[in-house]
Amino acid sequence: MSLRTIVCAGGGGVGKTTTSAALALALARQGHRTLVVTVDPARRLASAMGVAVDAEVHEARVDQASTGRLFALMPEPRRSTRTFIDLLFADEPEAKARMLKNRVYLLLADAAAGMHEVVSLMLVAKAIEEHAFDYLVVDTAPSRQGLDFVSYPGRLATLYEGRAVTWLGNLARGDEGESSGGLFAAGRRRVEGLFGRLVNPTTLADLAGLFAELAIVKDRFARLARVSEQLLLGDLTRYLLVAAPTGSAAADADYLRRRLKRLGQRPTALVLNRADESVPDWLSALETAGGLAADLAAALGTVHAEFHARQRAGDHLAEVLGKSVPGVPAVRLPTLEARDPSQIVRQLADRLAPRLSLLAGV
Amino acid sequence: MAEAPTAAEGFPPLSPIVLVTGKGGVGKTTLAAGLAEAAARRDGGAVLVEFGDGDSGARVLGRGSKVRHEVVEPRTALEMSVGRLLGSKMLAKVFTGNFAVRRMLRAAPALRELAMLDAVGVIADAAKGRRVVVDMPATGHGLAWMRLPMQMRDLFGSGGLYELSERLVRRLVVPSACSVVVVTLPERMVLQETLELCGALQREVGMPPARLVVNRFPAELPPDAIAQARALAASSGAGAGEAAEQLVALLEARESARAEALATLRDAPSVGVALRPLLLPVAAGDPNAAQVAEWLLREDAA
Repeated sequence: MSLRTIVCAGGGGVGKTTTSAALALALARQGHRTLVVTVDPARRLASAMGVAVDAEVHEARVDQASTGRLFALMPEPRRSTRTFIDLLFADEPEAKARMLKNRVYLLLADAAAGMHEVVSLMLVAKAIEEHAFDYLVVDTAPSRQGLDFVSYPGRLATLYEGRAVTWLGNLARGDEGESSGGLFAAGRRRVEGLFGRLVNPTTLADLAGLFAELAIVKDRFARLARVSEQLLLGDLTRYLLVAAPTGSAAADADYLRRRLKRLGQRPTALVLNRADESVPDWLSALETAGGLAADLAAALGTVHAEFHARQRAGDHLAEVLGKSVPGVPAVRLPTLEARDPSQIVRQLADRLAPRLSLLAGV
Repeated sequence: MAEAPTAAEGFPPLSPIVLVTGKGGVGKTTLAAGLAEAAARRDGGAVLVEFGDGDSGARVLGRGSKVRHEVVEPRTALEMSVGRLLGSKMLAKVFTGNFAVRRMLRAAPALRELAMLDAVGVIADAAKGRRVVVDMPATGHGLAWMRLPMQMRDLFGSGGLYELSERLVRRLVVPSACSVVVVTLPERMVLQETLELCGALQREVGMPPARLVVNRFPAELPPDAIAQARALAASSGAGAGEAAEQLVALLEARESARAEALATLRDAPSVGVALRPLLLPVAAGDPNAAQVAEWLLREDAA
């Protein structure tokens, strides 16, 4: 069986990581070997699942029914640039040593937004070459830009597939390049002059050096980039839009829907978290029974009001999204409160199990 | 265990520029709009800066607000910055229009972020002393943003980008000119991570956060509620007992989350953060800027 990918996208704070873990658990319980990848690892969830936050695939321990079939990859964001170098320069120790001393690299190691997503994908590409999985569940970064990484490997790849690297190298060496006459060269010299006003020669040399090192491993990079692109944009990929009643949920979902459209994709389903459909039966039962002590009655009132507020917010969210993402079926999930995050994942997986054909195409 | 931060210590005043930072979904936009709204009510005007397409700030502010809403598109910001550096918009167009340059700029995110900070400086210069509140993007934490100008300055050494970085260090990485407000949630690991970042902001860039806002903080339960729920669960028959057990589980989960968050905040001085947290209670819906502004003014934190 070929690998099927499910990408969970959504704004921040909507429960994407927990939903992704629960979906992976539900698939593993049904006998599918499943790998869940979180781009923004929640340490508490990682430890509750018995998974280390590092660059390796680990078997997750959540329950008996999924034993041996649920795996997780939760890369450490703060080490992503280093992991990137380790991955690409595995067979090039000398270039790697030069790279690690490059001043531009040292800056990027800290500041490169988007790098972590790319690295996570590359680790996935490596993982699926080494292990066989039936399903891959990808938890994207918690922002509207969460889907940018789909095109990022390609963007980086074109950077040094094209003339940019050669041009920069020539510029750093002070070369005229291959042709020194004609209009094209004149335009180029003008741009080069402007470039020199912004960046001094030392930094330019560092920058060119960085690209020269990267050029050594460009075949490896291009292969990993192709594998990641295939994973995210292939025929066996599904996109789920995850939302919750937060202020920007509807706007985020609409933005992501448009972003997906530009990638030639359409969401398969909406997952609405913390969107309780009703006040739970047990709560109503206690209220009807009455005769409660004063403090308990007050606490019950608070809890009831919160359920009710979430129910209204959930109704509103479902209505708004029904308009902005028409024709996409929604799975509405209640708020789950538990101390242990793995307990929440298990409860959520119970709720997702009957909807797996819609969510994962099982 | 360290002493709890006391309510007697007031909040330090906020500087003319306020950067609101935090992870995605913690309520940054709402708080940033609330801070701008509060300043506008007090001073007669304020600016809210948002990066991206700008619909979030407009939605939270609502109509009739005196806050001026500035939207900065990251890609345009870079072109504008380059234009200012080269002294002409036309030269900037020639430059950023070049194929190789365009590819490089797209692949070098740190430059785009530098330009976004530059845009904040330009807006603040035009604001004539009115408060400028910036809703920072969810990508990259506050420390990375504050460190960026110094890193770029050290990297470039000389030239236009060096001058820009140097200007931003002087303009933004100075507590008297710019305050950092950190927004977070009461979940323990999120809180712990946030507090460590707050400590690092102080140690590494000399910019201790001026406010730490813990959003969606659960309301306190009446003191005997859990004990009474347990007693009910123990004394009831099958059906009612089960319902009571559900309630016990829910109340306990809630109370322990609350206690954990308070304990983490009490230990905050161990990571070098000595500031009183602002606990924004769970609202019955999604608060708008006006409601948050009233709360901030009431807490004397605006």
